[in-house]
Amino acid sequence: MARIACFVEKYNFSDQREAVALQNFQRTAQRMGHEFDFLFREGIPEIPKYDAVFIRATTDPLFTSYVVSKTAWELGRKVIDDPESIQICGNKIHLYDLFKKHDVPHIPTMFLNKEDLHHKRLLKVFETLGKPIVVKAPYTSFSKYVEKVACETSFRDVAKRYFRKSDMLAVQTFMPTAFDWRVGVLNRQTLYVCKYMIPKGRWKHGAKRRGKPTFVWGRTVALKTENAPAKLKEVALKACEVVGHGLYGVDIKEFNGNYVVVEVNDNPSIYAGYEDSRNKDLYGKIIEYLVD
Amino acid sequence: MHAMKPTAFLNSSIKDFTLNLNNDYRYLKTGYYVSMHAEVLGNRVIPSSESIIDASRTPILLLKASKAGIPTLPYLVTGSVKQIISELGFPLVVFAVNPFCYDGYSIAQNRSALYRAVKSLSMNYKFAVCAQPLKGRMVSFKSIFGKCRMEGEVAKISMKAYEVFQLPICKLHVQQVGEEAYLCGLQPLRMEEILSTDLEMVSEEVSRMSSKGEHLVG
Repeated sequence: MARIACFVEKYNFSDQREAVALQNFQRTAQRMGHEFDFLFREGIPEIPKYDAVFIRATTDPLFTSYVVSKTAWELGRKVIDDPESIQICGNKIHLYDLFKKHDVPHIPTMFLNKEDLHHKRLLKVFETLGKPIVVKAPYTSFSKYVEKVACETSFRDVAKRYFRKSDMLAVQTFMPTAFDWRVGVLNRQTLYVCKYMIPKGRWKHGAKRRGKPTFVWGRTVALKTENAPAKLKEVALKACEVVGHGLYGVDIKEFNGNYVVVEVNDNPSIYAGYEDSRNKDLYGKIIEYLVD
Repeated sequence: MHAMKPTAFLNSSIKDFTLNLNNDYRYLKTGYYVSMHAEVLGNRVIPSSESIIDASRTPILLLKASKAGIPTLPYLVTGSVKQIISELGFPLVVFAVNPFCYDGYSIAQNRSALYRAVKSLSMNYKFAVCAQPLKGRMVSFKSIFGKCRMEGEVAKISMKAYEVFQLPICKLHVQQVGEEAYLCGLQPLRMEEILSTDLEMVSEEVSRMSSKGEHLVG
């Protein structure tokens, strides 16, 4: 029997679908004969008592979840998400730099720093990537801090906001598609496959409602992994190879018959009735990996 | 040795030993991206991007430091004031667990001071804080390639911290309790804090290292 700590924050239970998924993890672990406790911030000193740590709170090298991950890692515990994966996936500049080095097919991307914010360079960016372009802050997650711009003025507005926190940002070619593939990968094996549909009239899976703080999300259509295109799974696994052995959600666009990686996310969303609806065994596989 | 500006290095594919010199190695800042890019290129780099992140997160700094034999005090990572009081008591020294904070730490002698410190350092409870007992007096000093203007145990900590984290330029916070010294925190230096004498120490070290032939970015 192993003791598993699942690091969560209060917001993980605010969405019913995520709360049910977390209970599914707990039930599955208990059915397999393991202990599965939810660990909040106040429980961080308890980490040494556990054999494995599963992080469900949002990860970023700046968040408490990184401290949890690194503490568990330094103590020799099995951990999802491991600190290196958080470091790479939490910073898109790092991720795309690795994609470039290892020839992972990805959306055409350029990096810009504050010194690049001048007319000549911006003209070159639009010339290379076309119009409109997608501007991405390195710390983007859940479709936030990603904006589409079609002219230099709006680009400068967005870039100035993102440069407040990061000294670099990524700009990419805009590829309109009806959906993004989401391939869940665990330990370099496909775990689940879904289509994240783009809501009508929007260009990304999660879009902010005009004038409101709420988000509108597209539908999630799950597929049996064996029914997903082989080439899609191959590209997803190649992208994960440059990151690590953990649990990832790979976003892929299918454009003109080619698969290009949008990004690899650590800490992928797992909602009951969504990602798991065609692959119910994903809970068991993750628990098995944690206690292996 | 070949010296170049960080922005030029970031656009290059130079494969060589890289010494990344910067006053500010915080995550998402240019100093971080230089080390990250050097690692992606496969270069050996000082400091590593992992060290940059870990050294500025106080609990990880303390965990790695104590594993390497550097004296540290017990610490508590939490967002709860009540937990800090019940487990550590007063007086306390509280560090932010987010590397955006330039102003190192707060000392809390009582409950209301602790509430104020936690609220401010946790950015209104968004992040956790790292609390340590205050047993002696806090000393803060510049550490340049592990060398500092302090003596005795404090100087030893500075040198050991450089061996572990390899941050060429930083500020260290150490607690002195009688003859003993304990590492408490690390933070970047502001540009205006670097004096000409510090730059001399940097150039001395760089010329010593340059005989080994590395790429200098700063």
